[in-house]
Amino acid sequence: MHTLILILLLLLVHPGIQEKTALQRPVQKIRLVLQHRVGREPLVLGNSYRNVLGDTITIYKFKYYLSNFAVTDSSGNTVRLPLQYRLVDEADAASKTIELSVPVDRIRDIRFMIGVDSTRNVSGIQEGALDPLKGMFWTWNTGYIMAKLEGSSPSSKIAMQSFTYHIGGYRAPYATMRWVTLPAGNRNTNKLAVVVDINQWFKHKTALSIAKTPVCHSPGELASQIADNISGMFSNDSNP
Amino acid sequence: MNLPKTITVLGAIVLTGIGWMVADNRYFKPRPVAFTVPKGWPQPVYDFSKNPLTEEGIALGKKLFYDTRFSKDNTFSCGSCHQQFGAFNTYDHNLSHGINNSLTTRNAPGLFNLAWQKAFMWDGGINHLDLQPLAPITAENEMGESVEAVIGKLRADKTYPSLFKAAFGDATISYLRIGKALSQFMLQLVSSNSKYDRVMRGEASFILPERLGYEIFRQKCTGCHTEPLFTDFSYRNTGMAADRMLNDAGRMKITGSSGDSLKFRVPSLRNVAMTFPYGHDGRFFSLLGVFEHYRKNLVPDNNTDPLLKNGLPLSNYEIGQLTAFLYTLTDSSFLNDPRFAPPGYGNGKPPVDIHR
Ligand code: HEC
Ligand code: HEC
Repeated sequence: MHTLILILLLLLVHPGIQEKTALQRPVQKIRLVLQHRVGREPLVLGNSYRNVLGDTITIYKFKYYLSNFAVTDSSGNTVRLPLQYRLVDEADAASKTIELSVPVDRIRDIRFMIGVDSTRNVSGIQEGALDPLKGMFWTWNTGYIMAKLEGSSPSSKIAMQSFTYHIGGYRAPYATMRWVTLPAGNRNTNKLAVVVDINQWFKHKTALSIAKTPVCHSPGELASQIADNISGMFSNDSNP
Repeated sequence: MNLPKTITVLGAIVLTGIGWMVADNRYFKPRPVAFTVPKGWPQPVYDFSKNPLTEEGIALGKKLFYDTRFSKDNTFSCGSCHQQFGAFNTYDHNLSHGINNSLTTRNAPGLFNLAWQKAFMWDGGINHLDLQPLAPITAENEMGESVEAVIGKLRADKTYPSLFKAAFGDATISYLRIGKALSQFMLQLVSSNSKYDRVMRGEASFILPERLGYEIFRQKCTGCHTEPLFTDFSYRNTGMAADRMLNDAGRMKITGSSGDSLKFRVPSLRNVAMTFPYGHDGRFFSLLGVFEHYRKNLVPDNNTDPLLKNGLPLSNYEIGQLTAFLYTLTDSSFLNDPRFAPPGYGNGKPPVDIHR
């Protein structure tokens, strides 16, 4: 008998047993599928497009952070999803599908932040998607670059006819994090297509002329204006 | 006990043992080190709970601080630009030298009492001590290396994996751990034992010029160089017109607002006798140069601090007394502490103090 008790005791202190007891709520998986476009045309890195202001652009790099996902159900209750930070990169197809575990049936709308909240900007070294080595981090002025757009255009008057926009900054009054809310139509769905239109980067609120402003590399008024434009890039797919 | 029972018991014990061995870290017990706040000082701002100090962590941090593999050509360590005898500034250099004969664009400040500092660099651009090393490692005019390459060099080394294991529980070498270990070492650099400190503790007394200098200091300087850290960590424009080549806008570079033009962090004056040249670009070669600036060379603009807008009158007599006082801020026990010395220099000699 005491052998059994001994074994039970040993099992109790066995390190493998303790950690696997977290309760799981029933959830459904929904996939956000991000579709990068210039106007109506799908974005292909290296191809040329005419943007909304008439500038011809070729894009080499397009990356941004999404974080702080939340959903609102059909009766208006908002549920914040477990905190996650996603680095979406045009060059990495897998990064353009984001799977979320959502603890509600019918989703009225879905909300997320473009960029990285200020808490993570002031908490030292992070790992995973937020690893400073991912190239979305300023070392001389601590903080995440929330979105990057790089390419070339005949309109640019600087070396290599390039344009480089690194948009970031978490300090008021020039914070660049932006919230986006997209209606999900109260549907019980497992896929939500989201169009991300590069044209809005150049136009949504303030016109961004490549000839006049080919570069933005630091926090400030310009970055914050472009951030307003960026917040207008995201919409639900109206013609799938 | 019969045989099958014994076998069952033994089996269970062995299984549990293996379980403990596989769940690594459970027997990992680095020796904790307490951080002592000098009497009368404010609480530090560094969050030690996220990076508990341990003997192993500090030793690793020190080795990293003095390791030249952090630079692309393996010639520069943190300690090349941050030298103990200059209170960890670049001794007697207005700007520091990086790889390939490059120069930094600012004067390397001394490194001490970093646990009380919320932001780093002359413009406060870096908001966490753990993140500071990224800037010099990657800057072309400092170490010019990528962090991935540094990690690669350390992984290839024979001793580092075991040192990381001792400090963090397993042999993984990541930037997170490098940053934390370097911080653990740099947090040890507490300078709180100058003659000034001993006078404040009632263990020594000022000679006359020092005492007079202290009185002048309290009237004219503590508005910015606030005791006991000798800085209030604010950013101020002291009427130093920007050097035309460096064109350094200071704090404005970080905040993007023109109201912060030419503002720089108030530097601590602890160990100031050793940290020459002075100013964010090292333009003042002596204390006298700083005083001449305050009393007559200052070029005020709209952002110049109200305390300095009309200059800061100082007589020759006051300058003499102030200098005597500022010399009491030299902490020889800190400058000679073998715990902080480059490998090979720590000869265990007790620190010498020039004031005794
Ligand atoms: C080439 C010279 C050089 C090297 C190498 C160097 N530094 Fe520095 N360090 C500087 C200069 C110059 C500054 C001031 C920069 C500024 O304010 O813009 C500085 C600033 C700092 C500061 C901020 C101090 C304060 O009071 O704000 C810390 C901390 C620091 N360095 C740590 C390190 C560490 C750790 C390493 C090694 C990984 C290192 N440094 C390597 C030159 C160097
Ligand atoms: C209005 C705030 C203010 C006042 C008042 C002030 N200082 Fe400063 N001090 C600063 C700032 C800011 C700097 C850094 C300036 C720079 O390099 O841009 C500085 C730099 C210095 C330096 C150079 C230190 C170094 O390591 O580079 C010395 C020495 C100094 N001050 C001494 C004094 C003394 C002595 C007084 C009183 C007579 C005084 N200061 C009054 C703000 C002030």
